[in-house]
Amino acid sequence: MTLKTKVLYLLPMALIWNSCSDDDTVVDDEKPTITVAYENGFPTPCTGLQRGGTYTIRARVSDNDALAAYSIDIHHNFDHHTHDDQGASCELAPLKQAVDPFIYMQNFQIEGNPGTYEINREITIPENIDTGDYHCQLSVTDRTGWQSRTSIDIKVIE
Amino acid sequence: MWQNCIGTLLGVFLCSVSYTQELYDIRGKVTDKTSGTPLSGAYITVGKHTGITDINGIFQVRDIPEGHYKVKATFLGYADTVLAIAIPADTTLEITMYEGATALNEVVVNGIKHRNYNEVASLPSYTVSEDFMNENRENSLMQTLKKLPGVSTINIGSGQSKPVIRGLGFNRVAVIQNGVKHEAQQWGSDHALEIDQYGIETIEIVKGPASLLYGSDAIAGVVNIQPPGIPEKNSLSGEVNLLAESNNDLYGISAGIRARKDKWFYRGRLTFRDYADYKVPTDQINYENYIFDLHKSRLRNTAGNEINGSFSLGYVSDRIRSETFFSNVYARNGFFANAHGLEVRTSEIDYDRSARDIDYPYHEVNHFKITNNTVVFSGDHTFRFELGFQNNHREEHSEPVPHGYMPKPDNGKERVFKKNTYTLNARDTFKAGDKHTLTAGVNLELQDNTIGGWGFLIPGYQRFTAGIFAYDQFEIRNDLHLQAGLRYDYGVMDTEPYYDWFPSPLSNSDGTTSYVHLQRAQDKTRNFGNVSASLGLNYTKGNTTYKINLGKSFRMPLANELASDGVNYHMYRFEKGDPDLDPEQSYQIDLALEHSSGAFDFGISPFVNFFHNYIYLNPTPDYYESLQIYEYTQSKVFRIGGEIRAGITLFGKLRLDASGEYVYSEQTSGVKKGYTLPFSPPLSGLFSAEYKLKDFLFFKSPLVFTSYRITAEQNEIVPPERRTAGFRVMDFSFLTEIDLFRTPVEMRLKVNNLFDSKYFDHTSFYRLIEVPEAGRNFSVSLAVPF
Repeated sequence: MTLKTKVLYLLPMALIWNSCSDDDTVVDDEKPTITVAYENGFPTPCTGLQRGGTYTIRARVSDNDALAAYSIDIHHNFDHHTHDDQGASCELAPLKQAVDPFIYMQNFQIEGNPGTYEINREITIPENIDTGDYHCQLSVTDRTGWQSRTSIDIKVIE
Repeated sequence: MWQNCIGTLLGVFLCSVSYTQELYDIRGKVTDKTSGTPLSGAYITVGKHTGITDINGIFQVRDIPEGHYKVKATFLGYADTVLAIAIPADTTLEITMYEGATALNEVVVNGIKHRNYNEVASLPSYTVSEDFMNENRENSLMQTLKKLPGVSTINIGSGQSKPVIRGLGFNRVAVIQNGVKHEAQQWGSDHALEIDQYGIETIEIVKGPASLLYGSDAIAGVVNIQPPGIPEKNSLSGEVNLLAESNNDLYGISAGIRARKDKWFYRGRLTFRDYADYKVPTDQINYENYIFDLHKSRLRNTAGNEINGSFSLGYVSDRIRSETFFSNVYARNGFFANAHGLEVRTSEIDYDRSARDIDYPYHEVNHFKITNNTVVFSGDHTFRFELGFQNNHREEHSEPVPHGYMPKPDNGKERVFKKNTYTLNARDTFKAGDKHTLTAGVNLELQDNTIGGWGFLIPGYQRFTAGIFAYDQFEIRNDLHLQAGLRYDYGVMDTEPYYDWFPSPLSNSDGTTSYVHLQRAQDKTRNFGNVSASLGLNYTKGNTTYKINLGKSFRMPLANELASDGVNYHMYRFEKGDPDLDPEQSYQIDLALEHSSGAFDFGISPFVNFFHNYIYLNPTPDYYESLQIYEYTQSKVFRIGGEIRAGITLFGKLRLDASGEYVYSEQTSGVKKGYTLPFSPPLSGLFSAEYKLKDFLFFKSPLVFTSYRITAEQNEIVPPERRTAGFRVMDFSFLTEIDLFRTPVEMRLKVNNLFDSKYFDHTSFYRLIEVPEAGRNFSVSLAVPF
C-alpha cells in the first residue's frame, strides 16, 4: 500500500473523528422541573374545589438555565380518559356526559427568566358548570423550549 | 499485510472455527469490453444460482458445489457472455461484455434494470439482491435494509418502519418503486412505508444528494426498488414464503408466480401477515411519573395485519419492453394504548383480553398503485417512460375525548388523508461521439391531498411539480469517468382553507366573549423554482474505485411545514407552519473508495453536507391554549459523517464482515444554534460472521450466521428527546436447504436479540415514552419454489 493510498484512507477517518470530538458549543439539554408535592403546593390530589370558590394554584418550578413560561389547563375527566401522576389514585365518580364543563386554559410568562420560581395564580371556579372529576395540568418551559408537565386529579363540588 | 491485519482482528473478535470443504462462493467483476467500465445490475447465472453485480460491477454467487459449470452474464444492450468454469479452480472471475444493438436479439432481458449505475456512479450506493433480502429479512422492508452501513430506520412498533439515510428521514429520503416516487404521508412520525417487501428482487440505496434525477426530496438519498427481472422464455415458476415468529406471534404467507410465453409475460403476488402485540424485556414502563404495568410483557395494542396483492403484465421484444404493475397494500396497526405520542391515556377498553385484537388508537392505510414502465430502443436512442397513479388512503383512529375547547367527537375518526398522485417521467439516453453519453428528461408530478376527521394537523392541498434535467457521462479515459448534470424544477403548492368544526371563546376588547370557528389554514398559493446540480468523477485503478461527487439537492416545503396551525394533542404541542418558508437547499461532497480483491473487500464513504436552510420544527418556550408552541423555522445545518466497512472470506467457508456508521449534525444558525437535529442516529457498528457447514442429516448447504451490533450512547438531543444509552445486541441464524417431496426448500431459523437485552433505540417512535426495543424473537421462514 502506497503512502498516497494510506493518506486517502486516513484523511476521511480523521475528518470524521475530529468532528466527533470538536464539540465545544455548550447547549442546554436539561428540562425544567415542576412540583406541587410540598407544604404549600396546590391543588393536592383529590382536592374538592367548590363552585364559586376562589383558589390559588401554587407549584414550584426550577431550571438549570432560565424559566420562560407556564400554563394551567383544567378540563373534565368525566370519561376517565386519563389519570394523574401524583401516585395517589382518587375514587372517580361514575362515567357521565359533559353538559357545561369547566374549561380553563391560560398561559403566563415568567418575567426575568429566573432559575427558580413559585407559580402563584388565583382562579375562580364558575357557578354554572358541571361538577365531577377534573384534571389540573401544569406545564412549564425553559428558555430553550424544554418542557415539564405534571397533572393532578381534582374534583369540582357543589 | 493490512488485509491480514483486519482479517485477523475480525477473526479474533468473532470466533475461531475449523476448516471444512463442500461449497464455494464465486466472486467476480463484470466490465464493458471496450471501455473497461464496470457494469452494474448485470445478471449472473451459474446453474440455478444467480447474482447481480453491484455498483462496481462486482458480483457474488454463493454455495456452488464442486463441478463444471457454464456461467452466463446478461445485461441490457449487451450480448450475453457465456464461459465455462470448473469449481473449485475458478472462483474468481473476470467477465467482459460487448455492447451492441445487435446483441438485443440474444439478450434474455433478465438484466434489464433501470440501472442508475452511470447516472449516480460517483455517489456511494449499494445494490441489494433478493438473496440478501431472503437471508436478512426482518419484519419490515426498512428493518431488513438497516444492516447496510448508513441506513437506519425509525421504527413504529414491531411491524412498521420509516427509512433513514445518514440520519435524515421523512421527506428527505425518496423511495422509488418501478421508477415512480412513492407518495404517501411520509411527513408523519407514525407513518410507515406501504410497500410489500416480498417479491422485491433488486434495491439500490443511494447515499447522497440525488435531486438531479429524482427532484425534490432526494436530498439525503434514495431507496430505489427496481422492477424485477423478466422471466425466461416459455417459463412458469413461483414460490411460497412462509414465516412464523415468537415475539409477536406473527404468521405470514406470501405467494408469487411469474410466467412468460415468447413476448408476453405476467407476474402476481399475494401477501398476508398478521401479528399480535409484541413483547419487550420488561414488565413495567416508567414514563415520567407514570408507571404502566404490562400484561405478560406485551406492549398492549401494538398488533397489526397486512394484506397485499400485486399483478403485472408485460411485453418484451427487440425494440420495446413494457410492463404495467397494479398493486394494493393494506395495513392496519395498533399503537401502544397507555401513551399515544406523549399523551397518557386510560380507557374502558379491556386491551389485555386478547393480544391479537386492534383497538384504539390505530391507523389503517390502503395504498393502491398503477405504474407503467416502458423502454423503447430506437437506433442510438433509448427512451424510458414511467407513468404512475397512486391513491393513498390513511385513517388515524383514536378514542374520542374532548380536548381544549373541542367537545367530545361522536366517532373515532381523528384524521383522514386521501392523496392521489399522478406521475409522468420520460427520458432519452444517447451516445454523442465516442466519449459522451447524454441523457435528458422530464419529470411531472401532481398531488391532490384531501383531509377529514375531527383532528386537524395539515390542510388539504394540490401540488404540481415539473422538472427538466440533462446530464453527460464523459469517458475521459478508460479508467476515468466524469458525470455532470443540471436540473431545474418548478413547483406550485396550493393549500386549502380550514376552519375548526367547533367554536372557541375569543375575548373582545369590550370585555365580552364571542365564540368563533377559528381559521386554521389559509387559502394560499406558493410558487417555487429551484436549480439542482451534480458533478462527479469516478476513477478505477486495479481493484480499487475512487469516487468524488459534488451535489446540490433541494426539497420543496410540505403542506404541514407551510400551513400547520393545529394542536397535536398526542405530542402535547401546538404546531405552527410558516407560509414563507423557502425550499431547502443542500450542498454535499461525497468521497468513496471501494476496494475488492480476491477474498477481501473494503469501502469507506465519508461526506460533508451543508444545508443552507434546513426546515426544523423548533420547540419554543411559549404556549398556545396551554400547549407548547412548536414552530417551523429554517436554519443552517452542518453535517459530517460516513461509513466504513471491510469483509473477508477465509478458506472459502468463513465470511467476516464489519461496518461502522456515524453522522454528526449541528445547527449553525437560528434559535437552536449548536443543537443537533431530531432523530440523530448514534455511532454504530455491525460485526458479522457467516460459516458454511458440511451437509448433515437432511440439511443441504447449511450455514450459520451471527451478527453483533454495538451502538454508542446518544447524548446529542433536541427537545423533547431524551439521551439514550448505548447497547449491544446479537442475532443468530441458521440457513439451509432441505428436500421436501423432491422440492428444494430454503429454510431459515433466526433468533433476534439472542440475550433478550433491554435496550432503547434512539430513533424509535416509542423511545420518548421509555419503551425498550423488542425482546428475544425466534422465527422460522420457508421458501418453497414450484
